[in-house]
Amino acid sequence: MRAMIMKEFRELRRDHRTMGMLIGMPILLLVVFGYAANFSVESIPTATLGPQAQQAAALVTEVPQAPFDVATVDPGGDATTAEDLLQRNDVDVAIDTSQQPPVAYINGSSLFTAQTAVATFNRLGDRVTVEVLFNPDLKTSWVMIPAIIGLILTFIGTIVTSIGMVKEKQTGTIEQLAVMPIKPSTVILGKILPYFLLATLDMVLVTVLGMLLFDVPFNGNVAVFALGAGLFLFVVLGLGVFISTISQNVGQAIQTAFFFLLPQILLSGFIFPLEAIPWGVRWISYCLPLTYFTMVSQGVMLRGAPLDALWFPLIMLAVMAVIVFTGAVLRFRRNLAPGDGRRAKAKAAA
Amino acid sequence: MSALLQARSLSRSFGGFTAVDDVSFDVQPGEVVGLLGANGAGKTTVIRMLLGLLRPTHGEALLNGRHPSRLGREHLGYVPQSLGLYTELTVRENLDFAAQAFGCEPMPLTGHLLEAQDRLVSDLPLGLRRQLAFVCALQHEPDVLVLDEPTSGVEPLRRARLWDQIREQSRRGVGVLVTTHYMQEAEQCDRLLLMSTGRLVAAGTVADIVDGTTAVAVASDDWSTVFEVLGRDGFALNLDGRDVRVIDPDEARLREVLAQHGIVATLRPVRATIEERMTMLGR
Amino acid sequence: MSVRDLTVRFGDVVALDDVSLDTPSGHITAIVGGDGAGKTTLLKAMVGLVPITSGVVDTPPRARTGFMPTGAGSWADLSVDENVAFIGGSYGLSGEALAHRADELLGRAGLSEARDRLAGKLSGGMRNKLGFCLAMLHEPDLLVLDEPSTGVDPVSRVELWRLISEAAAHGTAVVLATTYVDEAERSGSVLVLDQGRSLLNGRPQELVSGYPGEVVETSTPERSQFAWRHATSFREWWPDSAPPGSDPTDMTLEDVAIIESLRQESA
Repeated sequence: MRAMIMKEFRELRRDHRTMGMLIGMPILLLVVFGYAANFSVESIPTATLGPQAQQAAALVTEVPQAPFDVATVDPGGDATTAEDLLQRNDVDVAIDTSQQPPVAYINGSSLFTAQTAVATFNRLGDRVTVEVLFNPDLKTSWVMIPAIIGLILTFIGTIVTSIGMVKEKQTGTIEQLAVMPIKPSTVILGKILPYFLLATLDMVLVTVLGMLLFDVPFNGNVAVFALGAGLFLFVVLGLGVFISTISQNVGQAIQTAFFFLLPQILLSGFIFPLEAIPWGVRWISYCLPLTYFTMVSQGVMLRGAPLDALWFPLIMLAVMAVIVFTGAVLRFRRNLAPGDGRRAKAKAAA
Repeated sequence: MSALLQARSLSRSFGGFTAVDDVSFDVQPGEVVGLLGANGAGKTTVIRMLLGLLRPTHGEALLNGRHPSRLGREHLGYVPQSLGLYTELTVRENLDFAAQAFGCEPMPLTGHLLEAQDRLVSDLPLGLRRQLAFVCALQHEPDVLVLDEPTSGVEPLRRARLWDQIREQSRRGVGVLVTTHYMQEAEQCDRLLLMSTGRLVAAGTVADIVDGTTAVAVASDDWSTVFEVLGRDGFALNLDGRDVRVIDPDEARLREVLAQHGIVATLRPVRATIEERMTMLGR
Repeated sequence: MSVRDLTVRFGDVVALDDVSLDTPSGHITAIVGGDGAGKTTLLKAMVGLVPITSGVVDTPPRARTGFMPTGAGSWADLSVDENVAFIGGSYGLSGEALAHRADELLGRAGLSEARDRLAGKLSGGMRNKLGFCLAMLHEPDLLVLDEPSTGVDPVSRVELWRLISEAAAHGTAVVLATTYVDEAERSGSVLVLDQGRSLLNGRPQELVSGYPGEVVETSTPERSQFAWRHATSFREWWPDSAPPGSDPTDMTLEDVAIIESLRQESA
């Protein structure tokens, strides 16, 4: 028995990835749950519009225990401006004083923010009318499903792709590929395309099912959604390829993919709202692709946001796609054809 | 004298497929017994039953007179084809684990293994790995050694050295059961068992095994052409160095074909090899 | 086709040290040596899988080379036919031409009955034969095989050699690494490697006839550093001539390979 225990410990000591998981993960979880796990919103970006915008701003800032953070005061604005601001996710609450009584428009796609705001305004009674846009019943499922679509794509893209690619390394057939007259980029594209198609199919399936089962709306432009999804897929598939280049077998690939997956589940706004995560940890969220895809999917599906409102997450996704994919291809090329550069030189010398 | 290993009418079926059919043999102390046969002949299944890894559907496998059991394993040394080493541990650590598992003292290392004692098994070349696997199996001084393809992929000198060790063990009274594809090795065994499609088809010395098969060695300047010509004509062939050996030949026809193609060659009758016997069994 | 003054270094380790080898068309060239000798490194350098530190590798481009790595080189989850389709497609073969070539190769390899079977489910010998067919599919000028018959049952080994000899007869340059010295005996030329260095290089018959000393078959060897077990007795090498009364026997290539290893050891 003792021998068995000793042996397991010794093997474990050398298995860096498992060690990382055993030590790193609890620390990560502790930090995240300690700092990030927070459902209470610290600040709500607000805009006041209409003739009495100034007064409204002053009043609203005074309300005890309500963290309204007035970002815009626009005396010329009205209901349309309010909707526009909310749709673009510039603010989460827009108070329109051009109507009597004033109407507080609330962004229903920021669930916890909306709940806090609604509760606050309800305490003010008839003095303010509350209208929740985009998610009038404040349903959790409506906010979650767009995020889940991204999560599913992340699973398929990262885990399944990395497994598929690492199997070649494991069986040794990667050497065969290396010796055939196929360019490394062709190998990658050829391997990724089936997963791309499958992931797209899955995405459509989940989106449609989500809409059917939970009545989640699709208020926006399908093309914008597709663009976001496409870019996101590239990032996530690129990540899968990258993981396969740093793993020797399927087990390692899955472990590594998990490392990349866990922070995204916890910090992308999927479970804990981004607004609630303190900046000390929130910067990590802004490095994760799922965060940006969720912005796009929630924006399009719930708020019907137009292309120009979503330029930030889309650009970030595009940049990530380029970086991750290039890195993955370069590493893969080295995996596949380490001898290429030298061989050419040697032939030239001949 | 009680046999160390005994197979008594050993049979094993998987569903409708009979992998081993009524195989009986024994291994006495101090003997080296070679188990031969093509892939799929049932050698691995027989071994697994002797080791207690598989239960026979009929018959029995006995280790030291008793059915294979956990306790009985202390008297058994086994080196599988895959060697059974922990690649993420060092040489020393593998030995220590084996010693502790079998409740004995770890064996002191010598030579190349001593130099490599702190290296990970995954960093070792095949020859050293085989040596290590062998030592791990011998540490606890077993009565029986079972070796599955012990020298596959090993160069001639190392092969000879490994056999020195096997012989040393048999001199001490250990009973050794070896499976092999390499015919030169088969000649080093005291006794041979040939299996084909689950049955034991021949047993004894090399002469006993090949009894019934003849061969003619064709020596020429161009083995490749002879090989092609005779092969096309349907002769059963084998190669040995630059000789083309024809198994169970119709000598008259053989000379005829060679003459037809204007091939100059010398023919001499030779004793068939075990491979050649196996080839004829497969036809 | 050749390799000249090839040196390959991986960090501090010198895998190949100034090795030269000719691999002419229509000939079989064998590379022999133990662990760490550098056989696989040399083969991989010839197909461009390993970066060269110095020296020249003059071999045909990828599209004209066929490679069979250890472990047979086929995709286990694909059937024989699917493997053929993939490789064929990658080399630009298709349709009638591919079907014809596949039928011919698989037929000669005795794999016609197994075309629908998964490659992973084939026996060792059949997998190696499949690996050979896949490497030959596009009729390469150079065929590189890494231990093609290791672990293969004797019957399949003969069949594999039939395929190898036919390939050479049709003009392909065949280079193979092997631990079976009797295979080297059949080859047009042999390269004996040890620790990355070339010990012997030449035609097998010449290497043997030109080798100094005599080999004696004996049951009581006198000098253990030059004796080794063989079949039921021992063989011993005397560098000059065998002592009187002993029984000198014909030297074989395997003897030569073993003696060279022994000499390296005592050096």
